[in-house]
Amino acid sequence: MKKVGEVVLLWLLILFIHNAAGEGYSPPGKPTNISCRSPEKETFTCWWKPGSDGGLPTTYALYYRKEGSQRVFECPDYKTAGKNSCFFSKNVTFVWVNYNITVVATNSRGRAFSDPVDIDVVYIVKPNPPEEVVVNVTEDKDWPFLQVSWKPPKMADTRSGWITLFYEVRLKLENKNKWEVVSAGQRKTLQIYSLRSGGTYEVQVRCKPDHGFWSEWSPSSRVKVPEYFPQERSMWILIVVFAAFILIIFIRMVYMNFHSVKRYLLPPVPGPKIKGIDKQFLKSGKSEDIFSSLVVSDFPPTTSNYEDFLVQYLEVYVPEERELIMNEGKDLQDDSFKTENSTCDNDSGRGSCDSHTLLTDKGGGDKEDGQQSDQEGSQAEADTKSQEEALEEELLACSHENLQSSNVSNEKEKVKSWPSLFSPLPQYSFSPVNRPNPPKTGKQHCLSDSLFTPNSMPSYFTQPGPSTTKGFRSNYWECSFDHKQSHPLHPQSAAHEHLQAQNDLNTAHVDYMGAPLDVHVLNVRPSEYVEVQRVSVEDGVLLHPVSPSQEDSRTLSHQTEDYSRVRVVNNDNGLLLLQRDAIEEEKSMCPYQEDVVSRASITPTLQNSATGINIALPILDEMAASGYIDTAIMFGLPTH
Amino acid sequence: MQTHTRTQHTHTHTHTFILLPCLLRPAPVVYLVAMCRAVPVNDLLDRASQRSDKMHSLSTLLTQEMDSHFPPYGRMQMPRPADCHTSALQTPNDKEQALQVSESDLMSLARSLLQAWVDPLAVLSTSAITLPHPSKSSISSKIQELQEHSKSLADGLDILSGKMGPSAQAISFLPYTGGTDLGQDRVTILNKFNFLLSCLRRDSHKIDSFLKVLRCRAAKLQPELC
Repeated sequence: MKKVGEVVLLWLLILFIHNAAGEGYSPPGKPTNISCRSPEKETFTCWWKPGSDGGLPTTYALYYRKEGSQRVFECPDYKTAGKNSCFFSKNVTFVWVNYNITVVATNSRGRAFSDPVDIDVVYIVKPNPPEEVVVNVTEDKDWPFLQVSWKPPKMADTRSGWITLFYEVRLKLENKNKWEVVSAGQRKTLQIYSLRSGGTYEVQVRCKPDHGFWSEWSPSSRVKVPEYFPQERSMWILIVVFAAFILIIFIRMVYMNFHSVKRYLLPPVPGPKIKGIDKQFLKSGKSEDIFSSLVVSDFPPTTSNYEDFLVQYLEVYVPEERELIMNEGKDLQDDSFKTENSTCDNDSGRGSCDSHTLLTDKGGGDKEDGQQSDQEGSQAEADTKSQEEALEEELLACSHENLQSSNVSNEKEKVKSWPSLFSPLPQYSFSPVNRPNPPKTGKQHCLSDSLFTPNSMPSYFTQPGPSTTKGFRSNYWECSFDHKQSHPLHPQSAAHEHLQAQNDLNTAHVDYMGAPLDVHVLNVRPSEYVEVQRVSVEDGVLLHPVSPSQEDSRTLSHQTEDYSRVRVVNNDNGLLLLQRDAIEEEKSMCPYQEDVVSRASITPTLQNSATGINIALPILDEMAASGYIDTAIMFGLPTH
Repeated sequence: MQTHTRTQHTHTHTHTFILLPCLLRPAPVVYLVAMCRAVPVNDLLDRASQRSDKMHSLSTLLTQEMDSHFPPYGRMQMPRPADCHTSALQTPNDKEQALQVSESDLMSLARSLLQAWVDPLAVLSTSAITLPHPSKSSISSKIQELQEHSKSLADGLDILSGKMGPSAQAISFLPYTGGTDLGQDRVTILNKFNFLLSCLRRDSHKIDSFLKVLRCRAAKLQPELC
C-alpha cells in the first residue's frame, strides 16, 4: 500500500511537473506592430499583433494617454474593429492631440508591455474607398467612351471641407493584366476615350486625403464596349489610299525619267567608229553601197584625207628584189615608229617618231634602240641593234615628217635618209582601228630607197657634216603596215625591202581603209609626200615628209598623184626633192635621208641640211614652181 | 537681415495675389475699381489653401528627413509637443468644434499661427546651416522654402482678412521664447530641432485645415470642390 501511494504520489508529482514545465507556461509575449488608422479624421482604430501567449489564456489591453495629461485610459471598444484591435469613437477622438498608446498582454504567468506609440489622428487618415462607382458607355458620334462617376466614402465629410479627397481611377481590359491609372483630382467624374471596340473593361476608383494614405480600390465595375466602326478598317482604307497615291506618283516619275532609267539599266552599246562609215548609211541597207562607201572613203585617198597625212610618200617603183629587202626592216621601222610616236607628238599621221631624236648620233641607234626597245619591247628591235640597223631605224622613224615636231628643229641639220614609200602612220593612232589589220598599217613605210644600190650603205647624217657615205642606206625597211617580215635590215636586203615596200604599198592602201578619225592623225595616207631635204653625199636624197598641216589644200589638189617637188638638182646625181609645203615646214622637218635616186643619179649636194636646204630652196623654188617631178620617173633614172 | 528678407518677400509675394491693388483701392476711386476685375474670395481662398498645403508638405518632409538619421534614444528625451509655444492658442480639437468656429475666427486663428512661426523659422534657418546632421543642406533649403511660403501666405491672408471684417484681422500674439540658440551639445541641438519641427508640422496642418474649411464654406458657387 505504501508503495502504491508512493507511486501515485510520484506520478502526480511527475505529472504536475510535466504540466508546469512541459507546457511552457510563461508570461505572454510582447504585442507588436501597433498601427492605427482613421478613416475620416473623426474616429480611429488601432490594431496590434499579439506575441506568444505563453501557453495560457492571454488578454490584451490597450491603454493610452493623451498629451499634456498623465491620466491613462483604456480602450473603450475592443470589439468593433475585430480581434486585437481597439476602436476609438468620436467621443474619445481628438485631433491635433498626441496619443500615447500601449498594449499590454496579460496571462496568468505575467504580463507584457508593448512599445508605446505616439500618434496624431490627423496624420493617420486612410479613407474608405469611393462608393457608388458608376461606369457608363456613352455614344458620341460612333466613338464611344466611358463615363465613370463615383461618390466619396460616406464617412468622409468632404462637404464641409474637413477632409479633402483626391481620386484615382484605373481600368483594364478584362483579360489583360495591365492597369491604366488616371488621376481625377478632386472631381468625381471622369471620361475615358480610346476604347477597344467590343472590349470589356474593369474600372476601379480610390481616394486619398490631402495629407494621408490612399484608400483601397473600390470593387471592379465591369462594362462592355459595344462594337463600333472599327478603327482598323478606317486605318486600312487610309493606308490603301495613301499607297495608291504614292504608287501613282512613282509611276509618273518613272514614266518621266524612263529614258534616263533605261539608259542607266541598259547602257547603249557603242557604235562603230570607223571613219568613213556612215551608220545611217549602213542601216539603209544596200550592201553594195556600203562596201563601196567603205572603199571609196579612204582608198584611193580623197582630198579630205590628205590633211591627215603628215608625210608624203614617194611612189617608187621597185623591182621585186628590192621589195624583199625592204621587208626586212619592217619590224624595225614599226618599232621605231612606235617609239617615234611617243617621242613625237601623238599625231598618228606623223612619223611616229621624232626623227631628230632618232638621229642624234650615229650611234644614236643605240639610244634609239633603247628607246624603241623600251617602248616596243620588240625582239625584232633588239635583234637588229646594230649601228647600221639603228641608223636605219632612225631613218625609218624619221620618214614621217612631223611638222609638229618643231622641237626637232635641232635635228634639222642631221641628215636622215628615209626611204618611205608610204605615208607614215603612227602606229598607235591606228591601233584601235587597224588592229585587225596588221597593226602596222599606220606604220610608215620607210623604205630604204630603192635607188640605193644594194651594196651601198645607208647613209644618213646625224650630225652636221657627217660622212655622206652614210647618207645612203642600202637597207630598206618598212615601217609599214604589215610586218610580214621582221628580219633586220641589212644592206643586202635593201632591195628586198623595196620590193616589200612596193607590195606593202598596195596593202597599205587597203589597210588604209580604216582611216583614223582624228584629223590630226596622219595615218591613212596611202601616198604621202616626202620631202627631199638633202641629197646625200653619194647617191642619196634626203626626203622628209611634208607636214600634214601644211599640205592642206595644196595637197588635196594633188592627191591623185604622188609627186615630190624637186627642190634642188645639185648635180647629176642628186635631186633634192622637197615637199610643196616644205618651205614653211623646214624647221620642223626631220631630215630624212632617202635614197630617192639611184646611185648614179644621186649626188650629195647638201652637207648641212638646214643651210643646204635653205640654199637649195630658192634654187628649187623656181624649179618647184614649175612643176612636179614624178618620183617614179626619177627613181627610174638610174643613169642620172 | 531677416527683415530685409522679409521685405523682399513682401514685394515678390504681393504680386502673386492677383490684382491686390484693385482690392485695396479705397472706394472713392471707383473708376479704378471698375477697371480691375474683382477676384472672388473663394478663388483667393483656394490659392491660400494651396500654399498652406505646400507648407505642410514641406514640414512633413522635414520631419521625415530628420527622423531618418535621428538617433532613436533622442526621441525619448524629446519634450512633449504640448510644450509648443503655440499651444496657448485655443484651437478646435475635433470636427464639430471646428465646424462651429466662425469664418473670421478661423481666419484669425490661421493668421495668428502663421505669424507665430516667423521668428522660429528664422531660428531654424540659421541653425540648419550648422546642424550636426548629414542632410543639413537639404533641411536648410526646405526651411528657406518654408519661410518664403509663409511670407507669401501671410500677405495673402492679410488681404483676405481685410475682406472678412475686423475680427478676422485680429492676430493673437504668440511669442517664441526659445531663443536663437538651440543648445550646446549635439543631442540637445537635435532634440530641439526635432521638437520645433514637430510643432511646425502640427501648426501648419492646422492652418491648412482652417483655410480648407473656409474654402469650402465660401465655395457656394463651386460645390464640386467640396
